[in-house]
Amino acid sequence: MEAVVCIKPVPEADSRLRVAASGVTYDPEGVRYTLNSTYDEAALEEALRLKEAGAFEKVRVVSVGPPRAEEGLRYALAMGGDEGLLVETRPDDLLDPGFTAAVLAEAVRSLPHDLVLVGRRAGDDEAGVVGSALGEHLGIPSFAFVTGLTVSGGGSPLKVRRFTEAGEELLSVPPPVVISLLKGAQDPRTPTLPNILKARRKPLLREPWTEVLSRHPGAPVRAPAMRFELPPPRTGAHLVDYQSPAEAAEKLVKLLREEAKVL
Amino acid sequence: MPISFDLTPEQRELQGLASKFAREEMAPRAAECDRTGRFPEEVYRKAWELGLMNLNVPVEYGGSGLPLLDQCLITEELASACGGMTTSILANCLALQPINLGGSPEQRERFLKPFCADYRLASFALTEPGGGSDAGALKTRAVREGDSYVLTGQKCFITNAPQASLYTVFATVDPEKKHAGITAFVVPRDTPGVSLGREEDKLGQRASSTATVTFERAKVPRENRLGEEGEGFKLAMATLDSTRTPIGALAVGIARAALDHASRYALQRTSFGVPIAQHQAIATKIGSMVQELEASRLLTWLSAWMVDQGKRATLESSVAKCFASDAAMRICDEAIQIFGGYGYMRDYPVEKLLRDAKLCQIYEGANEIQRLVISREYLRRFS
Repeated sequence: MEAVVCIKPVPEADSRLRVAASGVTYDPEGVRYTLNSTYDEAALEEALRLKEAGAFEKVRVVSVGPPRAEEGLRYALAMGGDEGLLVETRPDDLLDPGFTAAVLAEAVRSLPHDLVLVGRRAGDDEAGVVGSALGEHLGIPSFAFVTGLTVSGGGSPLKVRRFTEAGEELLSVPPPVVISLLKGAQDPRTPTLPNILKARRKPLLREPWTEVLSRHPGAPVRAPAMRFELPPPRTGAHLVDYQSPAEAAEKLVKLLREEAKVL
Repeated sequence: MPISFDLTPEQRELQGLASKFAREEMAPRAAECDRTGRFPEEVYRKAWELGLMNLNVPVEYGGSGLPLLDQCLITEELASACGGMTTSILANCLALQPINLGGSPEQRERFLKPFCADYRLASFALTEPGGGSDAGALKTRAVREGDSYVLTGQKCFITNAPQASLYTVFATVDPEKKHAGITAFVVPRDTPGVSLGREEDKLGQRASSTATVTFERAKVPRENRLGEEGEGFKLAMATLDSTRTPIGALAVGIARAALDHASRYALQRTSFGVPIAQHQAIATKIGSMVQELEASRLLTWLSAWMVDQGKRATLESSVAKCFASDAAMRICDEAIQIFGGYGYMRDYPVEKLLRDAKLCQIYEGANEIQRLVISREYLRRFS
């Protein structure tokens, strides 16, 4: 069996974002991109552990994005992915989740995919719909909010543990299947220096998105952003001067009661 | 050969690995280890696991055999989190380099491989209580007895000595011959007659360990001699020639941390109604600090690039080490000044940086010696 992990490099959490001139996205200038460790890296870690346990022969990593997304794929190869595929968009192409899922589906379709793993959502737009949409496009089942995965290999059903409002569900599903991982069982590994050097020699294919999408039946459903704006700067912080903790508490209670009116 | 200051994607990735390690593993422990002098073995073990140690060991012996420029990129990142830990991480490169450069294939196989297969530390043992810069006058004796040499003497200020399992030791087979008597040996720590002094209590770089190593009739087999008798001094100098540039990068890392702390503070601290960064007295300080930092980094990159091109870089490596470490002291000093009274307090991070930077002016060839080397190299062009 073989697995595919879909990844999306996103701006580092402490990036200072600015609105781009187009007004519908952020300006990529000076932004550093990374794989989000709680989502995509966790999904890849899960796939690599399953491979190490003998469930898969190969783990491939796929990304849809501008040329700079190659660095994210190289990182994934350094973690232990076997091959990479970058579906290349132009740096100024706007990617919305519907479009990404349609392109990803055609890319994944061209690869052996007994299991397709995605992080629960992207660390930037937080949409969280690509996994389900991918299942729809591929015509295979997809499961979200997955907290545990057991794969014995050889085409036998996967044991999927899902988190629901009513409690945990344990399902047995035959491959192929799309899994959107809520959280990984283990912290994602950090690529070692020798593995970073080795990753440079692993195969990484590039395909233009127009070519990949031309294989897609019909036009993808798109939901482009209309406007992108930064949250307004925070105002209204009120610092309380005080001499003693007792005085601070007294002043705070007074403010909460008389000004904020929450007491 | 065209000049390019663009890093390759691979170099950026190595830098990213080091930066992540520095942020997640080193920085959170830096203040504690500075206060207590604890040797954070867990950090060094993790650095080894990630391949951040033994950067100079060739691939065929299990190392990563990185170009010096890549080593410098990694060193700067590590040092921006803690100079002392970086020194301990780099100490293996220094200790193993004589084996790299002067060892036979059999010796490289025997000594280098175990360091790449397992987490182990080694120390470079050249300096003696009676002489640092005057290395030619060292007093540790090596007396030939049959198929062995018997070593007697004392080495001081030896980085990682308490935890090291191997020392590369420089001793003389004939003090009359001065430099020409110096010979290099690989001495396992468990050799009878090898003993450790107490651990030094240092001004800075307190997360690294430093101690005296004493040899009392320590018997070392002839197979552990690196090169021929009398080739040790050249080997020590060749070793230091190739490890001097990363000390420049280490100083750059410390200086960068000081400048970053000072910049953030200057933007956030207000006086006379504005952030102090808007006062010219502070702004011009930062302007000078940035210049010195940029110049230091470029000098280390130039020196590393020359070494990687196989060019002679004695002058450039001395310039890089000397300038970057002096600049780091000035930058840390100004950073404390920008922090004012807070900068002098141990609860704030900048005073540690000054103490850590100080060592960069002293070890691996004091800056006074570097200046002599630089002038000698430069004046040669006119004679």
